[in-house]
Amino acid sequence: MTATASAANQPQASSFGANRSFILRGILLVIIVAGFMSFGNVNIGAIGQGLGYALAGVTVFMTFRVLGFVDLTVDGAFPIGGAACAILIVNGHSPEYAMLMGFVAGALTGLATALIDIIFKIEGLLASIIVITGAYTVTLHVMDGKSNIPLLGQETLISRHSKTFRTWLVEQFGDQMRRQSTNLLEIILFGCIVLIVLGILYWFLRTEIGLAIRATGKNPQMVRATGLNHNLMIIIGLMVANGLAGIAGSLVVQQFGFADVSLGFGLIVRGLAAVIIGEVLLRPRTVGQLLIAAVSGMLVFDISRAWIFSALDLPTTDIQFVSALVVLAALGAPRLFDRWKAYQRRLGG
Amino acid sequence: MLSLEQVSVTFNAGTPNEVRALRDISLSVAEGEFITVIGSNGAGKSTLFNVISGAAEPGSGRIRLDGKDITYWAEHRRSHDIGRVFQDPRLGTCPGLTIRENLSLAAIHGRSAGFRRDVKQAQESWFYQQLERQHLGLEHRLDADVALLSGGQRQAITLVMATLTKPKLLLLDEHTAALDPNAAEQVISLTQELAEANDLCVVMITHSMQQACDLGDRVIMMNRGKIEFEIAGAERQNLKPADLIDRFHSLQDGTELSDAQLLA
Repeated sequence: MTATASAANQPQASSFGANRSFILRGILLVIIVAGFMSFGNVNIGAIGQGLGYALAGVTVFMTFRVLGFVDLTVDGAFPIGGAACAILIVNGHSPEYAMLMGFVAGALTGLATALIDIIFKIEGLLASIIVITGAYTVTLHVMDGKSNIPLLGQETLISRHSKTFRTWLVEQFGDQMRRQSTNLLEIILFGCIVLIVLGILYWFLRTEIGLAIRATGKNPQMVRATGLNHNLMIIIGLMVANGLAGIAGSLVVQQFGFADVSLGFGLIVRGLAAVIIGEVLLRPRTVGQLLIAAVSGMLVFDISRAWIFSALDLPTTDIQFVSALVVLAALGAPRLFDRWKAYQRRLGG
Repeated sequence: MLSLEQVSVTFNAGTPNEVRALRDISLSVAEGEFITVIGSNGAGKSTLFNVISGAAEPGSGRIRLDGKDITYWAEHRRSHDIGRVFQDPRLGTCPGLTIRENLSLAAIHGRSAGFRRDVKQAQESWFYQQLERQHLGLEHRLDADVALLSGGQRQAITLVMATLTKPKLLLLDEHTAALDPNAAEQVISLTQELAEANDLCVVMITHSMQQACDLGDRVIMMNRGKIEFEIAGAERQNLKPADLIDRFHSLQDGTELSDAQLLA
């Protein structure tokens, strides 16, 4: 909130000026991150991973920022989406259809949270904890009672194109590209999917329903005064948001080559970190900028985590601890910076 | 048009904190009538509005609008017929959305939201004209975020939006109380214009005795959840703020302060 609130207090700039400074900040960020990656010897796989998780960051943006709804459902919607996608792929369905069903599975999880909140008047935080708890079992059932489904040898979005892409890459750029071919393919495919989904979401948030959903988070009184049922807006908003987590789950499952019941563990914190990193670094104002910021935040999160890993040469067992530290840094740094500024001011005055 | 029949609202019923916010209120508002409501804090004015608009449910009594019994209708269902403007300018418009987007929301009234983006040309030009006449300079800033506007500007926009789809009844809850005198005057004149142009039924809560005397056809004084007196007709024509204040004080002196008033 801090970032958007301070943006609103700044003197009004023309929309062109606002866009220009946002684009400039974006370019600067890309240069810095690229520098870090080459300097710190970070594998480009971190970008692909960030893109896989990016839509889960958008889920958190949609629930916390747009709907103003404290929703942890993403922890449950993500593995359910992944599980649905994996089981359909294993049963011979196309990856596109499987991902669509991943979206539906995530959306239904969001629907469960919304209904618990509305029918029983249980606030979002508790409602979503109830849903996550139940979702664990549902995920296991979706996966036929197994806690892990390998996708080895199955046709996924990535494996379908990997051979032709590798051949093309080696032909064009020589043999040294062979090792990076899967990573590059992931970046291209996931990048396209994330862009398409963002485009649809951008259009959706500017339609009447989208406007009503945005108003529901900021001013529910006005939504009721408009004659719209604000509960319905919460339902639609949570379904769309968690559907996105389902798509993210589907992407990550195909990337990892397996679905696992514990895939969503700690995702909410990660999504929150992504949203805040994006807001702090890019200071977005318009809807489009906010969406881009959430995705960028997830990328920065994954890249900085990978950088810490390679810089400190840590074993993979430490991954959650490093995640927690990156999240702490993302949440804590802006506040610490404000306190430091206040301290300086006191010294000066 | 609007009629309330012996409406009562009790908060925390059966507990030591019981507050009888409305006690058997009966009120009828005729077509095209403009009523001002005055009364001390805790008199039940806002509760009266909440009951009419559907934000609160009465414990007993009936509310009818145009002959239809709307007592238990959900708030969003009656909002098609009832527009409401609050004291707090932030409640009527949505920050983070532009003026145009706020207008799109207001234009949805009475149908379900769809996937379209633009407001009907006729509605937008009407909105534009209304803003232009206020000389607030807003008509050129339709793509500005509402959060950047002043309280007076937001209240003016709220008023125009509330009358955009021609409601039957307009409830104004001290809608100028948070504004500076200049902006308040502007919003009041806009209120009068809109009410006359659309032949609206208006009920307005105010703490300004001047406004209560200047505007409308009838004054209602509320006290402790009841309508204490009404002034209409010839008496209303010659009413001066000083008279109202006198009657206000005589009421306060004559009765012991209730717990509710002390706590309010």
